[in-house]
Amino acid sequence: MLRTSIDQGPAPTVYLAGEMDLDCADTLREAVTTAAAGAQTVVLDFAGVEFIDSSGTGIFVRLCLDMGSQGTPLIARNLSPAVGGVFDMLRVRELVGDAVFPD
Amino acid sequence: MAEPTADLPASLQVFRYTLGDTRVHAVIGELDAGLPQDDLVAHAVEALTRATFMCYAVSQPDDFVADELCFVPQGKRCDILSIRTNGWQRHHGDHRRSLVEILNDLAAAVACGKLRILDDKELIRETRTGKRLLQFAIDDSASLAAAREAVDVVLEESGIDVATRKRTTLCISEAVTNMLLHGGGSGGMTLRRLDDRLRVVVADDGPGLSFLNWIKPPTANGQASMGYGFKIILDYLDAVGLHTGPAGTTLLLDRKTD
Repeated sequence: MLRTSIDQGPAPTVYLAGEMDLDCADTLREAVTTAAAGAQTVVLDFAGVEFIDSSGTGIFVRLCLDMGSQGTPLIARNLSPAVGGVFDMLRVRELVGDAVFPD
Repeated sequence: MAEPTADLPASLQVFRYTLGDTRVHAVIGELDAGLPQDDLVAHAVEALTRATFMCYAVSQPDDFVADELCFVPQGKRCDILSIRTNGWQRHHGDHRRSLVEILNDLAAAVACGKLRILDDKELIRETRTGKRLLQFAIDDSASLAAAREAVDVVLEESGIDVATRKRTTLCISEAVTNMLLHGGGSGGMTLRRLDDRLRVVVADDGPGLSFLNWIKPPTANGQASMGYGFKIILDYLDAVGLHTGPAGTTLLLDRKTD
């Protein structure tokens, strides 16, 4: 199960923890929508994500593309090894653009 | 290319020829009335004689539509993969893999021996061999998470390193997610120990492997599948078995332990 906590501020950050699989779409979208109110970007912090599969990745990619087209692009930070390995394999950077991964 | 029609979804069919036979028979899908049996047999014999993988692009006459035919020799038998896209293309802006990529991955995996297409007899034999260690009924993401965790414990007790364990539980997640999304929404997962490997059996009684879902545009709430699940499974595991038909789909995921 995915857990989220939001640090509102000039650059709102959504801290993600737990597992990202086919179940995480609503939780992720709700947290990002809340954080995005009035913001220019939203940071997603992946440090606490212990597991992600292609469904979780697909949900993140879809959300990235949607938020980008709505003018509130996402920034992804602190990819845990579990997340980084799967993102590399699925070439997520090519799908969402380098700007999402400033680190 | 012709406009796709709803009653002609993209599909993968697999036929099998055994040396000495005069006909091929279907393992996935059905033999069409218009299928040129003699040509299939002749090509299969040629592939077996030359011990060479052969792949043909197929034009689309009215009576037999396929985009590719692959002949994969395997000792005394030859698997024939018929890949039909029937004109279905990726939607503009769709970030998922194309059907042709997915189907070609499957063909390549059969060709290199990583993926075995199982007929009915092989399915029964392969799902009963070895000792059963765990069994789960799975009908939602909570039971999927529990199954991942339980398998991870057994893998750890078997002395499998953490990187391999993570890859294996990832593959289980991919296989079970496919089952939840496309295999009727529920089924079972069994972990078995064989002499030289651990085997995860993921089985459902859904409508059989289909690419119908692929021809629909992504949903507004986030496309849950990118078409990578099967690629991950094929890349990360030592051997994979597949049986599918109108009575359901079974996947065997093998991780060697020696």
